[in-house]
Amino acid sequence: MSKAISRRNFLMATGAVGAAGLLAACGSKPAASSTASSAASQAPAASADESLALSDGPVNLSISWWGGDSRHAAYQSALEAFQAEHSNITVEPTFAAWSGWEEKMAAAFIAGNAQDVCQVNWNWLYNYSADGSKFVDLNTTSKFIDLTQWDSAAMDACYVANSQQCVPVSMTGRIFYWNMTTFNKAGITEVPKSLDDLMAAGKAFQEKLGNDYYPMHLGAYDRMILMVFYLESKYGKDWADPVTSTLNYTEDEIAEGLAFIKSLVDNHVMMNLKTYYSANSDTATHQSNEWITGKIAGIFEWDSAASKYSSALDDSNKDGFTVGEEIKFGDNNGGFSKVSMGLAITKTCKNVAEAATLINFLLNEEKGASIMGSECGIPASKAGLKFAQDAGAVKSLVAEANAKVMAFTTNKLDPLFENNDLKASGTGIYQEVFDNIDYGDQTPEEAVETLLDGMESVGYTIG
Amino acid sequence: MKKSNAPAGARTPFQKWVDKYQGLFYLIPWIIGFLVFKAFPFGQSLYYSFTDMNFFKDGTSFVGLANYITAFHTRKITKALIITFKYAFITVPLKLIFALFIAYILNFKIACVNLFRTVYYIPSILGGSVAIAVLWKAVFSVDGLLNTVVRAVTFGAVQGPEWLSDPNYALWIICFLRIWQFGSAMVLFLAALKGVPADLYEAATIDGAGKWRQFFSITVPMITPIIFYNLVTQICQAFQEFNGPYIITNGGPRGSTTLISLLVYNYAFKSYDMGMASALAWIMFIIVCILTIIAFTSQKKWVYYSDER
Amino acid sequence: MGMKASNKIATFFKYFVLILVGVIMIYPLLWMISATFKDNSEIFAGISLWIKKPTLDGYRNALNNFGGSINILQAMLNTYSYVLPKVICTVVSACIAAYGFGRFDFPGRKLLFNIMLATLFLPQVVLNVPQYLLYNKFGWVDSPFYLAIWVHCAFATETYFVYQLVQFMRNVPRDLDEAAAIDGCSSFQTLYKVIVPMLGPALVSCALFQFMWSCNDFMGPLLYVSTPGKYPMSLFVKLSMDGDTGFAWNKILALSLISILPQLIVFFCAQDQFVEGISAGAVKG
Repeated sequence: MSKAISRRNFLMATGAVGAAGLLAACGSKPAASSTASSAASQAPAASADESLALSDGPVNLSISWWGGDSRHAAYQSALEAFQAEHSNITVEPTFAAWSGWEEKMAAAFIAGNAQDVCQVNWNWLYNYSADGSKFVDLNTTSKFIDLTQWDSAAMDACYVANSQQCVPVSMTGRIFYWNMTTFNKAGITEVPKSLDDLMAAGKAFQEKLGNDYYPMHLGAYDRMILMVFYLESKYGKDWADPVTSTLNYTEDEIAEGLAFIKSLVDNHVMMNLKTYYSANSDTATHQSNEWITGKIAGIFEWDSAASKYSSALDDSNKDGFTVGEEIKFGDNNGGFSKVSMGLAITKTCKNVAEAATLINFLLNEEKGASIMGSECGIPASKAGLKFAQDAGAVKSLVAEANAKVMAFTTNKLDPLFENNDLKASGTGIYQEVFDNIDYGDQTPEEAVETLLDGMESVGYTIG
Repeated sequence: MKKSNAPAGARTPFQKWVDKYQGLFYLIPWIIGFLVFKAFPFGQSLYYSFTDMNFFKDGTSFVGLANYITAFHTRKITKALIITFKYAFITVPLKLIFALFIAYILNFKIACVNLFRTVYYIPSILGGSVAIAVLWKAVFSVDGLLNTVVRAVTFGAVQGPEWLSDPNYALWIICFLRIWQFGSAMVLFLAALKGVPADLYEAATIDGAGKWRQFFSITVPMITPIIFYNLVTQICQAFQEFNGPYIITNGGPRGSTTLISLLVYNYAFKSYDMGMASALAWIMFIIVCILTIIAFTSQKKWVYYSDER
Repeated sequence: MGMKASNKIATFFKYFVLILVGVIMIYPLLWMISATFKDNSEIFAGISLWIKKPTLDGYRNALNNFGGSINILQAMLNTYSYVLPKVICTVVSACIAAYGFGRFDFPGRKLLFNIMLATLFLPQVVLNVPQYLLYNKFGWVDSPFYLAIWVHCAFATETYFVYQLVQFMRNVPRDLDEAAAIDGCSSFQTLYKVIVPMLGPALVSCALFQFMWSCNDFMGPLLYVSTPGKYPMSLFVKLSMDGDTGFAWNKILALSLISILPQLIVFFCAQDQFVEGISAGAVKG
């Protein structure tokens, strides 16, 4: 018995050495320096911590994530595979749905008892660890995580307080989705590719299908993102500086953006918010009767939301669900991609080497990545994506949307954009701005001030 | 202890001391519980309310009354306070009257009374279930059940308001939800009604008092302690109500259902501004305290306790 | 004859009101039952009880056991393994504290009573974090015995119930205590021989409320239970609700329905205890 264990330990140790050797072999471009060079404006990144090593004895790790059924299942079988491979490591999972999860994790971060490895939302890095106090700098773990598998842009987004606080699990961006069943009924056979197409669709819907049919519906936050998309497409600059959150647009330009959104409402491209609320309150679009029955025939949503929206459609509309094309409102590409979630190691973790090995297993290695598939979004790790695709574990609809989004989004997102005081449905500033316009309380020009005041109060520098 | 009930004439000073303080003996668990589990979090939150506490930012500094002053100068907050008052003053009386009315009917000999009681308690069991969120919106939607009924009853003359999008009407939606969940208050009234001695009714019937007169001259006075209890706790709960607006309207439209507790939650767990969250919580604390003091002062006038001598 | 007719009208009116209100009360439950057999698009399509395309997927998926660590049966067991201690502790400790407040005069009683009442007035949201830090210090977070969830109840911290019992106690005439004292009962004997039987209905309703509220509590278990094998129903019900990628509503509703069944049954069976019998029996005895 004891012999068997020691033999396994021996294999473990040699396996670790082997893996390290492999990393060194493909290390013509060392991981740590690649991120350091891309984060040029900041201090040089920490290099690998040579003292980190895997332990021979039994090790307990904990990991936490939020999600739904299929994500829970994927993580759990990936963890089983990991434990089969590393028999001295036991991984204890904690998981639940998103609702309430952030409160739980916030309390745990404050008390210092969060799990060793945490699935984190991108804005958590800024909300909880803006000073770098909560998460380990993953550059120090480059011996165990192959950091070269990620684009530098994606890695930079997780580089906060001079520290690589997490590695991105997946990237996401917004794209149009259309219900072509309804479009066909209105006599339109191709997905909209330009502003003119949109306006024409609005007209066709109203004339052929009636006043209660709309080519598209967007909530307040969606409208804000589309407005930024429009402005970026037109003026070719980020909404705000990704590091300093200095706004890059003038009042006139923003007024133009708000007027653009209003023109979509006025031309029957989008439903007036008040009309939407009167039937649905603040219910998400995919749960609205109008979406399910095809009266709302378009949305502008995250690529990861594709299956949620397509599966919500009723049988007569299901087949019409189509991933849209980019619409250029100007000479440039609009829109931004962002890290949808990452994996981080907490500073309270006692077995950083093992935790890093686990992250590498889940995101970069064949066994882990092929089980995880697209359960946490389309993998951002190149190796992980390849393994997941080879294993056929990537949802084709989401993959299509993701590929399209990543192809055209070049703009960067600043962390304050998603600040809760702005974004919150119900009480946020974005909501107030677009409600004001749709309830007729403010013109787009007047609403600019409301928006800028709100942005200033959360820390934007207004030029 | 044992001897404390001996005839008063033969009391030693020790026994007198025991007589005086034995009540405290029964409060020992509560006192420990208060000191260990309540005093610290309460003190902590009171302290936070005078600081710019943010758990995720270094350096907490004492800001005095700044949070309180800012609160009363922030339109969003003062508006939420007014809405919360409206909400409480609508729901508390209606819920109590309704609960008492139904409990009174259920107190008669009724076929299938167990079934009725259970049915009336169901809304309270459902609590903040997702099913309620879905249904509520469907009922109050512009072409929803309620407006359909309104149209049918008035033969199409009245259209019915846009409950969910009109800021003037939306508060009624969550008020109705609260009144609908009257089960707990009803249960307490039922328990109290059973405690009213039957001979009082018999005497009244002999005197020729009708059912309604009996209700107001016997039933109500006899259960005033429970009416009072329900009043105090319902005021308290109404001011802290969170679930209704959270699951149904999320504070909208136009902030017309943003109760103060929704803001407290947002400050505490979305903006991490623990200082402001605590200040708002303590403002609510003071408001409820004042209302309770008013209620307690008034109870001498209308609440009847059988144990009073 | 006229008397009889008016009685009939009154009876009709009584039942008419009861049934009308009853329908409004029970409709959501009926809808929930029917919705467990619908698919997503049908659930949001309207509030009719009619099922166009019945499916059993909701119930089939409700039996999912999340990698073997937790299933619906285990979750039920977990729930009651802290709800029962919580209910017992609450009723016993609240009764004792209420006796102290309700039946004795001692210096400082009013002050203590007001302090107790005041603990009702602060919203729980701002207490969450300080409490979490406190329980973390005690080592109660993720305790296998759910210590953080129920232990405090043994110290009469559930003020609603203490106050509720104080109010009920005030309707028990003091003559009864005095009679007991003359019979030679100590104050403690008076509590359990006189007061507790008289308070029967109130105690049962206390237990009932605490039972219902504890079963429904979501935030407490979410904060203080981290081991999946220890998840109670309130967490289990919501495990699959992923807003990002969507989920099957029929499963969530089926789980919610299953999770409230015990509560419905308990209420149905317990109600006789608090509205009939006990108090009458006590007076006679």
